[in-house]
Amino acid sequence: MKEYKNTTIHIKDTFPLTDDTYIMTIREEIEFSPGQFLMIETPYRSTRKPFILGFFGEDIAISVHVKGEGTSWIVRQRALKAHFPLGRAFMPPPGRGITIVSPASFTFGCVMFRIFASDVLVGTRKPLKTPVPFPSALGDEDFKKAIEDIKGGYDYYVVNGSRGMERFVYSEIGENVWVSMEEYMACGIGACKGCAIKTAGGIRHVCIDGPLFRGDEIIWEG
Amino acid sequence: MGRVELRSPLIVASGPGGMGEYMAFINPSHIGAYILKTITLHPKEGSTPPRLYSTDRFIINRIGLENPGIDRFVEDVKRGIYDELFEKVPVILSIGGDTHSEYMEATQRAFSILPRFTSVEYNFSCPNVESGGLSMVADRGALVDVMKEVRNMVKNTPILAKFGIEGIFVEEASDMVAEMGWDGITLINTIRGLVKTPEGKIIRGGISGSVLKPISLRAVYEVRRRHPSLFIMASGGVYTGDDVRLFLEMGADAVQIGSALFKDPSIIESIYRDIKGE
Repeated sequence: MKEYKNTTIHIKDTFPLTDDTYIMTIREEIEFSPGQFLMIETPYRSTRKPFILGFFGEDIAISVHVKGEGTSWIVRQRALKAHFPLGRAFMPPPGRGITIVSPASFTFGCVMFRIFASDVLVGTRKPLKTPVPFPSALGDEDFKKAIEDIKGGYDYYVVNGSRGMERFVYSEIGENVWVSMEEYMACGIGACKGCAIKTAGGIRHVCIDGPLFRGDEIIWEG
Repeated sequence: MGRVELRSPLIVASGPGGMGEYMAFINPSHIGAYILKTITLHPKEGSTPPRLYSTDRFIINRIGLENPGIDRFVEDVKRGIYDELFEKVPVILSIGGDTHSEYMEATQRAFSILPRFTSVEYNFSCPNVESGGLSMVADRGALVDVMKEVRNMVKNTPILAKFGIEGIFVEEASDMVAEMGWDGITLINTIRGLVKTPEGKIIRGGISGSVLKPISLRAVYEVRRRHPSLFIMASGGVYTGDDVRLFLEMGADAVQIGSALFKDPSIIESIYRDIKGE
């Protein structure tokens, strides 16, 4: 039986990465592997919300894209109820890699940089408000150009952003692309089977089989 | 429960509880039983995504009874996959189907492992599968036949019938349960609903969550008035110790906790402390 923690985490600092995405650093030492996530309780949903775990500087942190009442509430809190670590640990293939992230998954980029010495590219539609130690591409045209520039230059590519961003990078680069899948999720531990996605190998579940999958496994629909 | 003693009135509901995963958050002595996800005769891949969406009051799901099928499940039990769970808590098997023959065949194939289970809950009410659950209830003749034949076949393991409120009145369902000598009834299951997600996708599924509480309370109340000694397991909208007390007051013998686990995977511990006054 897997072991999880379900506890209150305390926020050390919250600051904007863009005008709608925030970095929240966490006081507690959370043990996690690359790709793993936590789920946070809010008063606005009967299910918890998943956020990929990562770093900002020396701190454990999450990135929160404010999209509605729940995420707006989360970034105002100093303490949050959450369970973790969830998901399958991601291990990239050998070689030189690059991790392409949106602001909403910025802290995951920091994990890939720190643990696997991956390069990081931040693709963003809005200007960054906080300096980051990685190159960024602002807007669709800049992002397309950045992807053209990196194509073929790496042994693997990991994308963690919107479905549109992931699909674009996969369609441009094709091989050796890993993507982080999002699907509505309820339990995070493989019990409810809610976060199913279609793959070439049949139905799989983001919370226990992912969240990172090979791009060529995914059946890209919709 | 009928022929079984429960050490706690708190039960992990079939569906949200999965196949025992929540034991990572639960003290085994605080629950009366853990009901596994429904198993059908044939493996089911489940519904195409998206499968669920939630608001503050409800969750809609269309999981589609994803399960490995009874043969694989029996094999897994025999291989010891669930031994740790069996050691910790009483486990209830949930069997579902689309037709009379599927219920009977699944029961037959599960026969060798039934002694491992505290009881079997027959899911006659899952509204997610196009041709299952509800259509079984709607076909009263087939339902009666299944209930009679299952009772004749399963003599040494308590059996419970799980009904929703669609396709049959709970009063009628409870009469059938009592007349056919079943050991108890579970009330209720999810109720069919429809949600359009912010992405514009339509989910037709079963509604669960706190919004169900007054509906399941009424079902329990009516059945208890009708059948003073029938074992009733309540299910639907239970989130707090007060909810549990209310269901017990209205006539439930035990109370299932399902979707509330999504709000807080340790919620059974909070409820247990509350009802024990700790």
